[in-house]
Amino acid sequence: MAAAERPPWLWRSNRVTMNATTGEISTESPKAGEASAAPEFLDVATLLERSQPVGRAPWIWIGIALLTGTMLASGYGSAHAGRPQQQLLSTMASAAMLALMAGMAVFSWNTVRSHREEQRRIEAVEELVQLRRWPQAAGMLGLMLSAPMRTQQTRVQALLYLTSVLARYHRFGDAIAVEEYLLDNLQLDERTEYALLLARAMGLLHEDRLFDADRAISDLRRGSVEGRESAGLALIEIYRDVKTGHPAEAIAMFEQKRTILRQQLAHRLADAYGLAARAYDMQGFDDQACSNWRRATLLCPAGELRRRYAEVIPLIAKYQPAETPAEAR
Amino acid sequence: MISAQYAISRFRRDMTFGTLLRSLLLAGAAFSLLLSLSPIDGRVDGTMILVVIAAIWLALSYRSARGLRLAAQSPSVIASGQFDQAEAHVEMALRSFSLFRTVKLRTLHHLALLRHAERRWDDAAILSRTVLGNRLGASHPLTKPSRLILADALLELGDLGGAYAAMASLYNHRLTLAEAMELMLVQLDYSARIGAWQAMMSGVADKVQLAELMPAGNSARAQGLLALAAMKCGREDWKKWLADRVELLADVEELCRLRPMLWEVWSRQTAPPERPLATGENRCLAPSA
Repeated sequence: MAAAERPPWLWRSNRVTMNATTGEISTESPKAGEASAAPEFLDVATLLERSQPVGRAPWIWIGIALLTGTMLASGYGSAHAGRPQQQLLSTMASAAMLALMAGMAVFSWNTVRSHREEQRRIEAVEELVQLRRWPQAAGMLGLMLSAPMRTQQTRVQALLYLTSVLARYHRFGDAIAVEEYLLDNLQLDERTEYALLLARAMGLLHEDRLFDADRAISDLRRGSVEGRESAGLALIEIYRDVKTGHPAEAIAMFEQKRTILRQQLAHRLADAYGLAARAYDMQGFDDQACSNWRRATLLCPAGELRRRYAEVIPLIAKYQPAETPAEAR
Repeated sequence: MISAQYAISRFRRDMTFGTLLRSLLLAGAAFSLLLSLSPIDGRVDGTMILVVIAAIWLALSYRSARGLRLAAQSPSVIASGQFDQAEAHVEMALRSFSLFRTVKLRTLHHLALLRHAERRWDDAAILSRTVLGNRLGASHPLTKPSRLILADALLELGDLGGAYAAMASLYNHRLTLAEAMELMLVQLDYSARIGAWQAMMSGVADKVQLAELMPAGNSARAQGLLALAAMKCGREDWKKWLADRVELLADVEELCRLRPMLWEVWSRQTAPPERPLATGENRCLAPSA
């Protein structure tokens, strides 16, 4: 397919080729001469650079200055001109002021409309991410972040969703780069910052950067949102212990934090059960491993758990998943 | 705590005052324009009056924007469960002056949202009815969340007819994912109360997928209600699967305390025999059958 004919939702890079309609992903390298023709699929550095909001002319202040100028000119004219000219000047000044005010109103309306449009697109991306329609979300984010965004606020939201999409495609290095960019360069509220730190720690574990991950976990332990315990942090610690071969610690953490895991994780509770099952399996407690694997697969299909954590792969062949009604599969 | 009656009377007073002030300023602007265009020589300069009116309008708009900023903080505070802080935000926004209807309508809607989160169903219903009773204009995005609050509050109050009317009007709107999830939950509750088990089981796989996106409590409630419907329709596979999931997601006793009809799911192992069906009736026929 020629570059010009290529639909906008198809990207090709030396890492991954993705069709947003079918969601098919392959990792073959591009043909010679083709690589430079198409942008890389969600190239983080480019998107971070291009999405920076550009400074716009301060039209409101220009309008106010023009209004003041008109008023002063009208006052000066009234004081120094003859009576017929005074009348003409006053009429002209009023007309100019009305035109300016109308112009400012149109400008404000236009600005609000474009802000709303950007917000609407961000909400659409949020829905796609929630619905796990990753190819479509990736496509929309790629388009949105390829051009300057209107506000820093919506840019931050788009970048947050970008980290989710990148993590989904196992591009944890890129996801960490975006998270660190957000943490280092932008003012974020406490919750968002904590969520980003959690996502970064999880990404570091997936990337096998265990020393950095351990430091990130220690930092997270010191902080909390509104003094509440974090189920996300507990899940990360369980994962670290499973990954580094400390099943006893993983089990202890799982049993200790069971209540908050249930309260905060909703269906992602499957992750905790899956990792706990693996920890029990590593310890040789087959019964507990089997029952926890059943619980995990009750909430989430085994295939999805395998995609999230390669560590649970041995469980798939060993234990029966929960029975699921045929229509729900 | 702000009472619903006080909030509504304050809202109405501020709306009337805002409308009056806007009309006065607009009339003044029109008068000054006529004065400037008039060939009659006057001692008062129309342009100057117009400038003064423009300055007042700008100053009041700025003050209104402050109220809008105050109001904008409330939903996230309510979502995080900090009701006292949310109450303070709403109270400040309610007492602050605003030239525009949008700010006041939004504030009243946030108060309805807060009362709904606090499970004060009476207040939530009255406040959302007041919001919907106004000409929303630029605030039309409030229509859907207000109707959802109203439907849920009326359902909790046992007003099934009112809840149905509030829900029915939502079918004409295009809903966001969050709104669709809320509507599904209210709909399941309503259907369970009227015993529409077959309707609840229709498209059950999609409903379960949507429930999986909800927070733990709501997800458990939705899947618990679906488990009840599955039991009533003789779909033991679905009933068992959904009930097992609910047990993992929430405390069953707590859930059944809020929705006593759900005790039936956990007190019986198999679907109870329904009353004999009349000829031609297929009330509980499974979709695949």
